Amino acid sequence: MTHSLHRLGTSENLSHDYPLICMAAHGMNEEGAAGKMGKFLEICRRHGPVNFGDMKQGSIFVHDADDIIRNITNTTLVQCVFDDIKKVEAVLRDLREADLGLSVVVSGLTDAARECCQKVGLEIHTVSQSLGIWGKTSRLPSREVLEITTMCGHGMTSSSLVEKMIEDIKKGKNSPQKAAEKLAKPCECGIFNPSRAAELLAAAAAK
Amino acid sequence: MKIDPETCTGCEACVPYCPVQAIQIKEGVAVIDDDECVECGVCFRSGACSVDSIQEVPLSWPRVIRAVLSNPLIESPDTRIPGRGTEEVKTNDVTGRIKPGFIGLALEMGRPGTGTSFRDVQKVTRALAGMGVEFEPQNPVTFWITDKKTGKIRDDILNEKSLSAIVECSFPLDKLKAVIKQVQAVAQQIDTVFSVTTCVKVAPDGSLPTDKIFKELGITPYPDSKNNVGLGRPLFQFEEVSS
Ligand code: SF4
Ligand code: SF4
Repeated sequence: MTHSLHRLGTSENLSHDYPLICMAAHGMNEEGAAGKMGKFLEICRRHGPVNFGDMKQGSIFVHDADDIIRNITNTTLVQCVFDDIKKVEAVLRDLREADLGLSVVVSGLTDAARECCQKVGLEIHTVSQSLGIWGKTSRLPSREVLEITTMCGHGMTSSSLVEKMIEDIKKGKNSPQKAAEKLAKPCECGIFNPSRAAELLAAAAAK
Repeated sequence: MKIDPETCTGCEACVPYCPVQAIQIKEGVAVIDDDECVECGVCFRSGACSVDSIQEVPLSWPRVIRAVLSNPLIESPDTRIPGRGTEEVKTNDVTGRIKPGFIGLALEMGRPGTGTSFRDVQKVTRALAGMGVEFEPQNPVTFWITDKKTGKIRDDILNEKSLSAIVECSFPLDKLKAVIKQVQAVAQQIDTVFSVTTCVKVAPDGSLPTDKIFKELGITPYPDSKNNVGLGRPLFQFEEVSS
């Protein structure tokens, strides 16, 4: 239930982080879904996302954006991330109008997502919540590292790479923006938010 | 995954990419710990190795389940869904999988970043089976539970590991408190972490039926959530279920 959930953060830094997902229900409305997911990404693209991608192909940090949209298949899922709730509102307005008929999920701060849907006239249907990380939490890296790694819900962005990026920024070998782009690459589906990562890296390196 | 010791220069560039720290430099070359490697493919795809020493090797059963559950580019052969092989809340407006009066629970073992053994996964499936939950049929982990009543997982995969394994189930809301207590207890018995997700249909007044229960349990969900905004068609008609 989950790859756009469990993003660790404060209400302040999560206010720049809104992933959207679109997919067909297998065996129910998957016929023709590829073209509709392409339209979903086109609509998202009009409103300035910070990342997008296709689960089977990869993200714009690895592949050409037009190629991704062209090569979508019916049984994949596509995703996109925004750093501004106003952009999400504009996307939802366009999606409502487009009436693609595929399921769309908006993740992010609960109150902001609710308000945004209300403004656009959409009713939230089903909600997933995170109750956090349980079990042997002594095995986890620091919170500042987790706030970055949990933006790749599939765990492709490693804690060691985040730690290395923080060190590189401290040593002046890399900028927070370039380091964030490097961290976005392993996240195959395009749900990692490099804009929020750059903020978090800069703050961690300044400590 | 393998590293060719003949061509590896020991430059260490690949080392930080591994999410489970399975790559180490030994005697001047990079070596992958086969037991720890979850076959996620991150090192291979990273492009970190300038001399192409990192090589994908064909995987046979049961090791292949590491790749199915760890490499999100691979589609689950059982559910045909890439990622981690489940649809869950993402399409609930069309499938009606989680109905009013019920709750979906997903325990994503090994997330974030610790990985999990299937022996630990089995501890959790056994604990949940004891509560009489219904395991989600369209989930790859469920395919490997040989006895849904006891939560037993097939023996030949118990020594395998993966970056993530989502144990997914549903049950009536009135069982939630008891199930959460059981999950809290099994959390003390495993050598890894799991991320806990709940999923409910929003009530007609816009509230969540879990709000009061979480308060009583002293549990505060994260401030962010995942919201299906009801754009899928045909929209599932829940009335059909109760009639
Ligand atoms: S395949 Fe994944 S787990 Fe295995 S060595 Fe490479 S990065 Fe590490
Ligand atoms: S990046 Fe390539 S050459 Fe360098 S240590 Fe890793 S496998 Fe060896």
